Parts: sequence; structure tokens; C-alpha cells
Amino acid sequence: MKYYFKLQYTLLNRHLRDFGLPPWAGYLLGLLLFIGLSIFLFARVDLAEYVYGFLAMGILLNHGSMLRNDFIKSCYLRSTYLKIRLIENALIATPFLIFLLFKHCYLAAGLLAIGVVVSAFINFAQNLHYALPTPFYKIPFEFILGFRSTFLLVFFAYFLTLMSIKVDNFNLGIFSILLVFLISLSFYANPEDKFYVWVYSFSPKQFLLHKVKTALIHATILCLPATVSLLAFYLDYWWVILAVQGLGCLYLSCLVLAKYLNFPHQLNLPQSIIIGLALSFPPLLLGIIPFFYTKSVKKLKEVLS
Amino acid sequence: MIILENISKSYGNHQVLKDINLSFEPGKVYGLVGENGAGKTTLFKCIAGLQDYDGAIKSHYEPLKNHLGFLQTDQYFFTKITGREYIQLLGNARNIPVKDMDEKNIFDLPLDQYASTYSTGMKKKLALMGILLQNNDFFILDEPFNGVDIQSNIIITEIIHQLKALNKTLIISSHIFSTLNDTCDEIHLLKDGQLVKTVMKSEFGRLEQEMKDFSIGNRVERLGLQKTV
Repeated sequence: MKYYFKLQYTLLNRHLRDFGLPPWAGYLLGLLLFIGLSIFLFARVDLAEYVYGFLAMGILLNHGSMLRNDFIKSCYLRSTYLKIRLIENALIATPFLIFLLFKHCYLAAGLLAIGVVVSAFINFAQNLHYALPTPFYKIPFEFILGFRSTFLLVFFAYFLTLMSIKVDNFNLGIFSILLVFLISLSFYANPEDKFYVWVYSFSPKQFLLHKVKTALIHATILCLPATVSLLAFYLDYWWVILAVQGLGCLYLSCLVLAKYLNFPHQLNLPQSIIIGLALSFPPLLLGIIPFFYTKSVKKLKEVLS
Repeated sequence: MIILENISKSYGNHQVLKDINLSFEPGKVYGLVGENGAGKTTLFKCIAGLQDYDGAIKSHYEPLKNHLGFLQTDQYFFTKITGREYIQLLGNARNIPVKDMDEKNIFDLPLDQYASTYSTGMKKKLALMGILLQNNDFFILDEPFNGVDIQSNIIITEIIHQLKALNKTLIISSHIFSTLNDTCDEIHLLKDGQLVKTVMKSEFGRLEQEMKDFSIGNRVERLGLQKTV
């Protein structure tokens, strides 16, 4: 078991080095980002402790996929397997638990602690013989795969929209739209296998425009239940709702283009910093989107020309 | 016509392809054989433009990749994409509307299941179906018979004959000599990244024997297998 965790630590460090960071800097940056985002969430969103707890559980459940668990099971005794899962879950949940306790959210912290233990005993079987239907079948790829991996989170976002209407909290409703966009952004986190770009008979410009257009249409469809519900109940604030929708589209366009900046490799550190800056200061998007477009066109010429 | 001129490829100091010169005509089926690591897959990837190389590839298809159906040895499938969606994705990539997919599902694949749950042979058949429905003019089939059942083997052989009759160009690699014997007009032998021999159909029998002699040699005797007492 000790070797397992040593190996995980080595793999994590390797990822950080590949990203262009010495491991210590990666951990420090991760910690600062976590604290910053947590403070932001609690400052801006009502019922943040439950959103926070749900996000933590989402990460735990995503981490415990059946294939991965079966592999660990095949390597270790059952008792060791359970210990590994409990320790892993605890390691993931600890930062969330500490922050919840710091915010005196004892009920949410207690529920999360129970979740840590219970989820270690559950092997989430993925029914791979049943394909979850999606509205994105005409242009299959990122949104089909992403929706099937995160549909619980998407429905949670819709639930927040309903709650915002029920408790008459417009900000919570706006957060739910942003959450859907945040989920959509995650669909573009990793570059695809080279074959799936090569196979297109498009020029780099056509390819990128096709990708951006598809992302915007699909994200709009995914946001539709939240957007329409909010418009129906807060029509006076239509301009805020549409502005948030527009901002989400700009963020998404930026991420779609960024995916191909360093294709077929992951983004490097300077590119990630530029994206971070753009996300934290939206006016920068107006300059960064054309810049990313030009850079990605150049990069894609290696595959599509 | 596709012409390969002095194609070379190196990974650092290790040269995997050395001055390959070949030409491929429409309406012909070419076999490429060689041991594991001889450079077959690398050569295919260079022709496809999936890897950079030294030398030149000339073709009247411009660009060649947009007319090429590339069946890879181990096609990568996303975890949560169904067979139907995979075919749709490949059609979209070439702006080709895929109609009557169920009618064209000649291998009876469970198209509404995730492709990642398919067996090796089913994945191969799905990937093949994808490139066939793209209406390509030029095909590279890297190990098309790998893991495929006997019935499908017969169908794939028939498909290759049909494509040849339609004046398409095909390059096939296979470790099963009989499949190349049934389908190819010419076979090129690759060894350590070099093209060492080109054999016409009339000489396939001799090539097979030569390969057997070379490959087997006294290797089996060296194992020292013993009779059960």
C-alpha cells in the first residue's frame, strides 16, 4: 500500500513537471487557487456550503470509477483495497472539510465526512451497455462525451436554478448558468487523439470555426433550461441573463481555441497563465481570443494541411 | 498515382525508415510485410501525414489526407461514444452525410452501444466501416484482419476486391500471409526500415517460403521442447 501511494505521488509530480512547474510550486499554486476559489464561492453564492459539498462529492465519485477500482482490487487484498480508497477519499476531501469547518458549516462538513466513508465502499458501476441519450448526436464529440460524464452536475445546476426561483434569489440563478458554462469548459480541458483532428478535410481556420460554432450552439442548448426559467421569472433582468450567457460564450470560445494552442500536447504553463488571466479579467478576452485563434491556426497547419 | 521519394524517418539517432521509394497506382492492392518494428506503421503514418518525415510524397490528390481512409492497427475510441456516433463523427469530418447507417451496418455491429465495449474485432470492423462510408479514394489498412472472425475476414477480403474494382488504391499490412495472397497485386518487404524486396503476384508462393525459412530457421529447435513421458 505504501508503494501505491508513493507511485501516485511520483505520477502527480510527473504531471506537474510536464506542465512546466516544479512540484512544490504546483502544490503551492493549487493550494492558493483552492483557497481563492473557495473564498470567492462563499462570498458570491448563497447556500455555498451545499454547492461546495456537492462539488467535493462530485470529485470523489468521479475519482472512484469502476475500471480504476477494479484495477486496484485486482492488485491488492480486499482489506488493503478499502484502506486505499478510504485514504484517497480522505485526502481529496480534507481541504473541503477544513474550509467548511473554518466557515462553521458543521452540517455540510458532517455530510461530506459521511460521504467520504460511504463512497469508499461503493464501486460505481458504469453501465457501458446503455448509452445515455443526448441532444448533441448530430455533431458528436466533446458535448456528448462531456455530458455523459457530468450529467449529475448538470442536473444539479438546473436544480440550483429552480431553487433560485423558489427562494427568489436571482444571484443563485445566475450562478447556475455560470456553473453550466464551467462544466462545458471542462469538456475542452484535454486535447483529443491526433487522428480525430487529422481526419477532418477542413483547413485550420474552417476547423476552428466549426469547433467554436459547435461549442456555442451546444452550450446554449445545455444552458437553455436555466436561461429560459430565469427569463420567465426575472424578465426585468433579461439583460443580465443575456450578458452572463454572452460572457460564458466568450469564455468557451477562448477555451476551445486554447485547446489547439499546443496540439497535440497539453497546454504549457505560460499558456495556462494567459487563460487564467483572461478568466479573471474578462475584457482581456477580446484581445486573447484573436491571439489564440492565430496561434492555433498556425499549430493546426501541422496536422490539417 | 501516389509516389514516395526517399522517405526517411528518425527518432533522435534511431533511424526507423531509410530512403523508401515506392509508387502506388489506382486500381491496385499493395501489401507491406515485415517483422514487428520493421517500420510499417511508421511508413503508414508518414504517408497519412500523421508524422513528419524527410523526403517527398507526391499525389494527384490534393491534399492526399483528405482522400485517405486510414485504418490504424489500434484505433483509439473515446470511452463514451457509441458506434453510431463514431460513424457520424467520421462522416461530419469529411462533410459527408451518412445515410441508412443501419442498412450499411454489414458487420451487424451493436451501433447504439459504446464503442469502447466492443471486442478487438468489432472495433476493427467499426473503424473500417467508418472509413468506407467516407468514400475515400485511397486506403491504408494496417492489420485489417487482426482479431476479426472468419466470416468477417471473408467479407473484408471481398470489400478489398470491390474497392480495387472501383479503381481505388489500397495498401495493406498483415501478418497473415494468406490474406495478402488473396488480395494483393504486389508485396513490398520492409526490413529494419529499408525496402528490401518487391514481389509480384506470381512469386508470392516463393516469398512465403522464404519468409518461413528466414523466420523459423532453427528457432523452434532452440526451445528444446520435449515429448511427454
